[in-house]
Amino acid sequence: MMKMGLQLKTIRYAGFIGVLLVGVISCHDSIDEPQIPAGDLTDIPYNPVPYMLDVPADFPALEQPNDNPMTVDGILLGRKLFYDPLLSIDSTVSCATCHQPSLSFSDGLALSQGVNGITRRGSLSLINVGFHYSGLFWDGRAKTLEELALIPIEDPIEMGESWDSVELKLRNHDGYPADFRKAFGIENVSMVDRYLAAKAIAQFLRTLVSGQNSRYDRYLRGEILLEENEINGYLMFFNIDPSLPDAQCGHCHNAPLLSTNDYFNNGLQESPDLYSFRDPGLGAITGIAGQNGFFKPPTSRNLVFTAPYMHDGSLKTLEEVVDHYTSGGKNSPNKSSFLFNLVLTESQKSDILAFLLTLTDSTTLTNPAYQSPF
Amino acid sequence: MKLLNFIFFSLLILGLASCNDDPADTKGTVTLHFKAVYDDIPLQMFNNRPFENGQTLEFTHLSMIISDLELLKQGSPELLDEVEIVNLTFDNTTAAEAGYTLTISGVPTGTYDGMRFGVGVPADVNAKKPADFSSGNPLSNTAYYWTPWSSYIFMKTEGRLDTIGNGTTDLGFALHTGSDALYNILEANIPLTVQDGLETTMDIVIDYKKVLQGVDIKANPQNHSPDDISTITAIVNNLAIAFSLVL
Repeated sequence: MMKMGLQLKTIRYAGFIGVLLVGVISCHDSIDEPQIPAGDLTDIPYNPVPYMLDVPADFPALEQPNDNPMTVDGILLGRKLFYDPLLSIDSTVSCATCHQPSLSFSDGLALSQGVNGITRRGSLSLINVGFHYSGLFWDGRAKTLEELALIPIEDPIEMGESWDSVELKLRNHDGYPADFRKAFGIENVSMVDRYLAAKAIAQFLRTLVSGQNSRYDRYLRGEILLEENEINGYLMFFNIDPSLPDAQCGHCHNAPLLSTNDYFNNGLQESPDLYSFRDPGLGAITGIAGQNGFFKPPTSRNLVFTAPYMHDGSLKTLEEVVDHYTSGGKNSPNKSSFLFNLVLTESQKSDILAFLLTLTDSTTLTNPAYQSPF
Repeated sequence: MKLLNFIFFSLLILGLASCNDDPADTKGTVTLHFKAVYDDIPLQMFNNRPFENGQTLEFTHLSMIISDLELLKQGSPELLDEVEIVNLTFDNTTAAEAGYTLTISGVPTGTYDGMRFGVGVPADVNAKKPADFSSGNPLSNTAYYWTPWSSYIFMKTEGRLDTIGNGTTDLGFALHTGSDALYNILEANIPLTVQDGLETTMDIVIDYKKVLQGVDIKANPQNHSPDDISTITAIVNNLAIAFSLVL
């Protein structure tokens, strides 16, 4: 009781000072107006406009969580957060540091650079990331984009920050509270939190779609013809023509995403048993030894921009990638049975490379909606 | 002795169920354990198994699409599950013995005449593609669709073969079935009882030694050509003897 009395007295005292200050500042004009609670955002209009994404006809439906439908303001906020280094501990690294639009949302490094050094894996392109429903990251450790967006901020190497700190920075920022109000209708600055930030980033990531403008897509729609070597590569990539060798690519890079929802051991790591992989990948997440050494196949779309290749960045060029797969890769007990020494001529390898280049969609790189707002 | 006890227990259930003349509003649970074996031994991936002609093999991935899983009853079969990707890729004996579990609750009680399911998807479903299904549907998984065939992959049997018996697996194989002609419906006519509030458990066992009986893996380690389906036709034809239902 005593404590409560003291609190009441303190509040009355603070209120008196407050009224005095308001009186001094406003010369009595607003002394009778109702007090607006600190951090109130309700004077900012909240008019959410649903965002209709243009999804290629043969793509899977883009599904959104019921509690995070895409809106114009939600995506704008997500884009801002994506490009803002404020989210890292020293304001030097943003999501876009490792996912640059000019590199098809990868970073051109073998292993990405975080605030505290080199990360253990390369940056995975975010193109069409909204269509992946069986786990995200190389090892599938995030189930949803909302979950994905939470992780790098608190990774000690990547961004090295705490969400508690980020929430404070966002609440005290000049612009973000209003952005969160417009995106999610929050009523008070105190309602800005990590989960809304992650939702906004997820909304932006869902807009990163490529699947209509590559020469491959246009060829499939009958709009253009491909060169003979590109066609040969296409036929071998998907094993369409039995008279040509099967390049075994389509198992993991299946149309239309040029990826799949599965994970594979693609022969990058030599291991005498299931337990000696340098990087266990998916197996470390699932605890299933048979999945050690398994990784998500990245999309082959726009791969001309995403070198170096593989989760460890160990292959510098597309030529090295083709050589790796045609050689059968390194041995381990659970290496994909699709990997063995393929008998492809240099000309056929060249055709595969030619086809891979037809998957290039440079409009994605320059799409104004994907660029930094800063 | 174990078998006798099991039979006795089954009869007891049948007796109890038959006392209930109007089970329309009562429900039970059916739990199915899909189990892969090789010559009756639980099938663990990455372990050598003897194959034909002195060869040995090891499996790396086993899975299949099961569709229209039904309990049979004259006039009106009870649909348990429309479609399921059954993954039998287990890297240890314990997991292989447990198998892939599918639990269906809310099954009307009564005695059924047997069970039926398809391996793969029927033609009307196979005319669709992953983009036609929401992400929660197993058929949205592009890993089970092969565009050049315009078909779902009904069954994946993957591994490596030691072709000369020297202890080294030197040939990868990936035998994928698919296409409308190779959709196979399997039926077991064994009386099954579902009781109110209780769980009925069954094992659906597939013996991969029987699946691959007579298949020349060395000559046909893969089957992507739509013009050459002899290998996968042999596999599909073997399914009837390879599957068994164990109560």
